[in-house]
Amino acid sequence: MDVQRIWVLTGKEIRLGLTSFMSIYVLVAPVVLSLLVALIFGDLFAQTPRLGIFDAGGNETLVQALADHPSIQTRSYASQAALEAAVARGSVEWGMSLEADFANVLREGGTVARTNTYRWGEAGTRNLMLIETAVARAVVEATGLVFDELPISVEVVQLGEASAATWSQRLLPLLLIMAIVLSGLFIPSSSLVDEKQKGTLVALTTTPASLLDVYLAKTAVGFILSGLMALIILALNNAFAGNPGLLLLVIALGGLMSSILGVILGSWSRDMETFMGIIKVLGLVLYAPGILEIFPQVPQWIGRVFPTYYIMNPLLEISRNAARFADIAADLAILLGFIAVLAFVLAREIQRQQQQLALEG
Amino acid sequence: MTMIQVSDLSLTYPGTRDPAVDGISFEVGQGEIFGFLGPSGAGKSTTQRVLCKLLQHWSGSATVMDRSLTAWGQDYFAHVGVSFELPNHYLQLTARENLKLFANLYPQDVTRSEDLMAVVDLTADADTRVGQFSKGMMQRLSFVRAFQHEPRLVFLDEPTAGLDPVNARRITDHLQTLRADGCTIFLTTHDMHIADLLCDRVAFMVQGRLALIDTPRNLRLAQGRKQVQVEYRTGEGRRQELFDLDGIGGNERFAELLRSEEIETIHTQEATLEDIFIRTTGEQLL
Amino acid sequence: MASPAISVKDLSFSYGDNLAVDGISFDVAEGEVFGFLGPNGAGKSTTVRLLTGQLTPQAGTAELLGMDIVSERKKAQQEMGISYESTNLYEQLNAVENLNLFARLYKVADFDAMALLERVGLSGREKEHVANYSKGMKQRLMMARALVSRPRLLFLDEPTDGLDPVSTQTVHSLIETATREGAAVFLTTHDMVEADKLSDRVAFIHEGRIVALDTPAALKQRFGMRALKVEVGHANGQTELREVALDEAGTAQAVHDLFRDEHVLTVHSEEATLEDIFIDITGRGLQG
Repeated sequence: MDVQRIWVLTGKEIRLGLTSFMSIYVLVAPVVLSLLVALIFGDLFAQTPRLGIFDAGGNETLVQALADHPSIQTRSYASQAALEAAVARGSVEWGMSLEADFANVLREGGTVARTNTYRWGEAGTRNLMLIETAVARAVVEATGLVFDELPISVEVVQLGEASAATWSQRLLPLLLIMAIVLSGLFIPSSSLVDEKQKGTLVALTTTPASLLDVYLAKTAVGFILSGLMALIILALNNAFAGNPGLLLLVIALGGLMSSILGVILGSWSRDMETFMGIIKVLGLVLYAPGILEIFPQVPQWIGRVFPTYYIMNPLLEISRNAARFADIAADLAILLGFIAVLAFVLAREIQRQQQQLALEG
Repeated sequence: MTMIQVSDLSLTYPGTRDPAVDGISFEVGQGEIFGFLGPSGAGKSTTQRVLCKLLQHWSGSATVMDRSLTAWGQDYFAHVGVSFELPNHYLQLTARENLKLFANLYPQDVTRSEDLMAVVDLTADADTRVGQFSKGMMQRLSFVRAFQHEPRLVFLDEPTAGLDPVNARRITDHLQTLRADGCTIFLTTHDMHIADLLCDRVAFMVQGRLALIDTPRNLRLAQGRKQVQVEYRTGEGRRQELFDLDGIGGNERFAELLRSEEIETIHTQEATLEDIFIRTTGEQLL
Repeated sequence: MASPAISVKDLSFSYGDNLAVDGISFDVAEGEVFGFLGPNGAGKSTTVRLLTGQLTPQAGTAELLGMDIVSERKKAQQEMGISYESTNLYEQLNAVENLNLFARLYKVADFDAMALLERVGLSGREKEHVANYSKGMKQRLMMARALVSRPRLLFLDEPTDGLDPVSTQTVHSLIETATREGAAVFLTTHDMVEADKLSDRVAFIHEGRIVALDTPAALKQRFGMRALKVEVGHANGQTELREVALDEAGTAQAVHDLFRDEHVLTVHSEEATLEDIFIDITGRGLQG
């Protein structure tokens, strides 16, 4: 091992990495996804609350008043069942089923007007308040009456499970895994496969530089990139919170694990096709904990089966729940265990590859 | 009989100022091996691509097998064989499957595949996937593919590059057999040894123009020195002396050497094609 | 006498059951060009891989400048320059970057990439990506890369394969310069003309064994047919090819008479070429 040569090789990796298609994909994908998620599910869309209405008949004035309301989006449904379905899947956050001549009944007074309303479990409080105000104003407009006490009987049914997490919060774990694992794993492995196929690896290892030097340089590049990407994703998602030192430690360990794994996979793969084949299977395993986080109804323990859980979970704990070292020590110990196993495999692989290179050439 | 007749052929690639081929004219007779020599970028492969109908938008005239090149349709390739330098085979298929695949693209019956595989010593590997072939084996497979449909005219690019002398000689021997059968071969190569050995005539191309066309023998005589070099062995080792060819019959020293010394080699000093190549194209390169 | 640059004793290597190199021994002196010839699969590349430390020998030893290739592999590789059969350059980098990377791996002080590129005739194109280079330019850059560390051992595998004669000349003069400075050159090539021209000694390897090892001149004599091929011109412009046997009584007079009486155009004694020897030695084995 020769630090100076590793440094030279690392410089070369970065120089080459910047021009490879793979790295553009790997570095840009998580960032673009973050921005997309923010755009689609984030605050941008949340500013317009969505109200659904089923009119049993004769409430055109009221419906029109709601449709004209500038700060909410109103959609009409043809049946009570259609309205319920729309609320259940979250197309609208609030559904109102108006009985026939609801507005007239109100205006004439005497009897109590009835409305069945539905609330989407995951609808945010802010939006619900906006809708409530809008409905109240529309009723006043449609009936021309001012009530101290609304003669309305409101029955609220909640459809869909309640959840506090926004989409961007739910996708964050997957994005974090993509950032750390993709950039940590793909760059070293693809560059290694490429160098094997082009024969430059043989050229390097017949200089005074050893295969270990080359592999360590590739690990270093994966490590640096994965750290960088993790920080960018945390920042883009407003999740760089909690103890920064601890956050960096977890990112570093995650990057180390991913980049060593990347070098091993690259070393195993004879060509790009083999590598992509391995990745198709392994990719699912690596992403699994992040994917599971999207579906809160899946039991949490399933995630623990997958190695990347032990990168993701500590990061989330620190960022969301301000966890301290003691809280995540168990996860980190398991993560260290994985790294130790991978380092051992890598050491064995270097021995094997030394001969293999010459045999394949 | 004339196989290829090219006159005033020019081609300028779009976006470039200087023509790649700049008004060249030549003829190739039937049953001739015609060597097309010159440095990379001189316009050799451009000319070859024009004659293989791979490039359009050239000017001048080209007649191949008594028909204008532009008048030939796809049936041209039933009579023409092509083997370019980079072997391009289906790596997942065996050698035999590759040949079969291409054979099926021709209107005529293709019957020579097995014979040709034997000629280049590929029979034993005919059912091996080409992905496992060495560079030289792929090269030999390209050779079979170019000739299996018994073309009347073949464009060959570096047919022996990367082959060891045994395999190279299999190829050169077979090319000479084919020539005897009337096949015309348009050969581009950097190997002057092969060019000298095979070609009836060679053309040197430099910067889009033909600098020289003649038989290798005439070129070598014309550009050589009229001298004889004699190498002989003495007690102290090997010596060499040079004599003028003119009047050598009356040269006493020459007669004495022949009588009294152990002669190892005697050679007249014709230029080699390599010398001629360097002389013709070298200045422009350096 | 100084110890040899390369000293190989009973070197063997097999891939599974296939014995690729079968107990070969030879020495290469400093400043010598050693041509290593043989058909594909004869064991040439395996030998190169053993000598450059890519493969570990299963039996025998190889010492490079007195260093054992197994126990002192990295130290020995510091002294080597290698040009591979297929180009393996960083195609996304330019020529200067390619050379500088290797100079830094060899830790060459005061490396001047431009001077070296000048020597291989690539100056002026040094800022272009290697991917845009022609095959000949890549090949010359490979040669330059092999020379980066001013190595005392040069391993050259088909260094002029596919090069035009001008580029070939450039590579040959680089080899001559290197040997003049004392480097030993281990040359593998299929080009027998090149092997003849450059090599001080050549070895033919066939089925893993060295079957002939001598100077090209000695080999050519040993395998040659002793005859003179004479081309004479007649007054009517026709030429005629005559053959005169050598090494027979009266040969000298016959040759002399020929030169006196006829208009001799060309005369060539028929030494075997290395190509003939190659085919003679290995061809039979290939066919049977």
